[in-house]
Amino acid sequence: MREETTTLYLGPQHPGITGNMMVKLQVRGDTVEKAETHIGYLHRGFEKLMERRNWLQSFTIVCRICVPEPDPNEENYARGVEEIEGREVPERAKYIRVMVLELARLASYMLWYGGQAGSAGLYTMGQWSVGDRNYILDLFEELTGGRVYHMYIWPGGVRRDLPEGFGDKVLKTMDYLEKRLDEYDRLLFDNSIFQKRAQGVGIIDPKKAIEWGVVGPPLRGCGIPSDVRKDDPYEVYDKLDFEVPNIDGNSDVWARALVRRQEMRESIKIVRQVIEKMPSGEYYNKIPNPLKWSIPKGDAYVKTESARGEFAYYMVSDGSDKPRRVHVKGPAYVHGITLLENLLVGENIADVSFIMNSLGTCPPEMER
Amino acid sequence: MENKELVLENTLVQALQEGFTRLEATVKRKARVEAKIDKDILPSLLLFAKEKLGYNHLSHIGCVDWIEDGLFEIVYILWHPTEKINLLIKASTERENAIMPNIDYIWRQANTYEREMREMFGIEFPGLVGRKDFILEDWQDIPPMRRDFDTEKYVNEHFFNRPGREDAKDVREQVAKRSGEDIPEFAKKYSRK
Amino acid sequence: MINDKNSQGIVDIIAEYARKQSLFIMAYGTGCGAIEIPPTLTSRYDAERLGIRGAATPRQADVLLITGYLATKSLKRVIRVYEQMQAPKYVIGFGSCTINGGMYWDSYNTINLLDKYIPVDVYINGCMPRPEAVIAGFEKLKELIQSGNALGWKKYEDNLEEYRENQKKVIVNWQMPDYNW
Repeated sequence: MREETTTLYLGPQHPGITGNMMVKLQVRGDTVEKAETHIGYLHRGFEKLMERRNWLQSFTIVCRICVPEPDPNEENYARGVEEIEGREVPERAKYIRVMVLELARLASYMLWYGGQAGSAGLYTMGQWSVGDRNYILDLFEELTGGRVYHMYIWPGGVRRDLPEGFGDKVLKTMDYLEKRLDEYDRLLFDNSIFQKRAQGVGIIDPKKAIEWGVVGPPLRGCGIPSDVRKDDPYEVYDKLDFEVPNIDGNSDVWARALVRRQEMRESIKIVRQVIEKMPSGEYYNKIPNPLKWSIPKGDAYVKTESARGEFAYYMVSDGSDKPRRVHVKGPAYVHGITLLENLLVGENIADVSFIMNSLGTCPPEMER
Repeated sequence: MENKELVLENTLVQALQEGFTRLEATVKRKARVEAKIDKDILPSLLLFAKEKLGYNHLSHIGCVDWIEDGLFEIVYILWHPTEKINLLIKASTERENAIMPNIDYIWRQANTYEREMREMFGIEFPGLVGRKDFILEDWQDIPPMRRDFDTEKYVNEHFFNRPGREDAKDVREQVAKRSGEDIPEFAKKYSRK
Repeated sequence: MINDKNSQGIVDIIAEYARKQSLFIMAYGTGCGAIEIPPTLTSRYDAERLGIRGAATPRQADVLLITGYLATKSLKRVIRVYEQMQAPKYVIGFGSCTINGGMYWDSYNTINLLDKYIPVDVYINGCMPRPEAVIAGFEKLKELIQSGNALGWKKYEDNLEEYRENQKKVIVNWQMPDYNW
């Protein structure tokens, strides 16, 4: 048996890696002995750019921080500004925001379906779920004008009202998706390849999970039903009826997959309630002239539950027309670096991208 | 502020003030408590909050550059998983030769934040391990997130710019011309030179 | 650099016709534009019917898609990937950021003009370009290939020193093999 280890660079150019990042692995045979995450391939310096742009111009770039699910960023930014400024948001706007956030969550999970199955070699799943994701993107396109980046939720409300008959279209899409989810179950969760690959791989110690900073689906996969929507309710989540999945599992990739599977159904439930309960009225509390718009001195810490976990903004205003500091912390900042580096030790090389997909490592939000 | 609703928050403020004399604590709103403390006793406060008060989830470490005051303000945000409260702990350090206590033995994920702050603000954390190059590669200028770093100047020096079209027109002037109004005084500074 | 039809021999025309029918994309999502590639390649837009599909390694790929902004750290890897690809090879600049820096024109870590560092054959503008736009861009590339005008790789060989000078202006520590053709 050979004793020396080999250094293996997984990425940045690698079909299995989740985005433009690199994991430097020390391997003995095909077992990982040490892993080190290298990031910075997507660094754009958002926080610096926002210091140079006024409050409304910054709103247009925040959604670009996280590509698979941009809306939690917009919502965080808008809510942070509102909290510092003390601006009221109309009730209707809050309902519309929740609808957009849940649709974004669904779209993000459908991309995850493709990635998770693709990293196990099951490419049909990606063809189905990414294809069906287009139906949600079509809704976004009708509502906001953009498929990927919406720039829709802004300080004071949302950018425009729902188009006529939009609620029915959303409900129709939800009915379709619900039917498809059963088929996804048959394709992915009943598949013995996926079951064998996912069970017992990438186990997070449930006792340590909170201390390690794990959030979102990986934390719920440990059997800890923690969700910002319940713990620190924002918008109108406290008025809606939904459950946080409580998986009594092994806190492995399989448990995380089950959490996401259940959450998609909960999201569909939330969207239906929102359409039903949507009040009429104003959708936008008009901001003053954006060129003269300055925000009083203060700071705010706001957080949203995105598809990958808690997305938090720490925003500081110094009383001028530009943000003093907007510090963004995405869930992958912890999942992709310290957690991943520790989880990968002892795993097989073939499971590396599988585990990365299950944690939802998303480099643009790690380095911004 | 209704005291009934903020029982947990007020108890936390009391507990903090009993434990530490040189500390200002306030309830900002529901589920947000803010405390200001000297950086030398920061690690003991964090340990106290983690071990005694149950704030064992580190959510966030952010840094704000107050260049006018010559200070870096660093905010540590902790989360209580059962009481559902965010505790914001603020500590400051001088901008020149900034040094903050390293806390990655309390929470291991603090290591990532500290490496980023070392690179982006130039704050030193004695005893911090990890690569110097975290996000940037071969950076030779001053740390880019400092307020005195001029990113536009850097871009003009290092990267190319595509010249604009020759027939490009100032939108503001065109709109003003079409509607027959003058450009307001405050908007003039944004006009194309 | 523009070829007219007459300078192409019959063999060239046949070869170019064959080349344009199968364009393998280098699987390197360099920026946020990578999010519109899965929809383009999967069931609804199904780019594979047009001969467009992914390839895992540089040696097997024909097209390098630069999906959006390039951080200087990424640029180094992109150049390495581009030089490993086998000629004829084509570059598509995807999104506004490759054209003039887009939203990140004043960012200290992203380059603004892609074609100063590697030769670009086709630009697709927009932030983000829709899958239809991506397919239209590929159709344009096919036209250029057929008429023998997608010659970015030749331009790179001819002006290697100039490109190298620009690249080394951004990349401080050049620890890569210097290819010469």
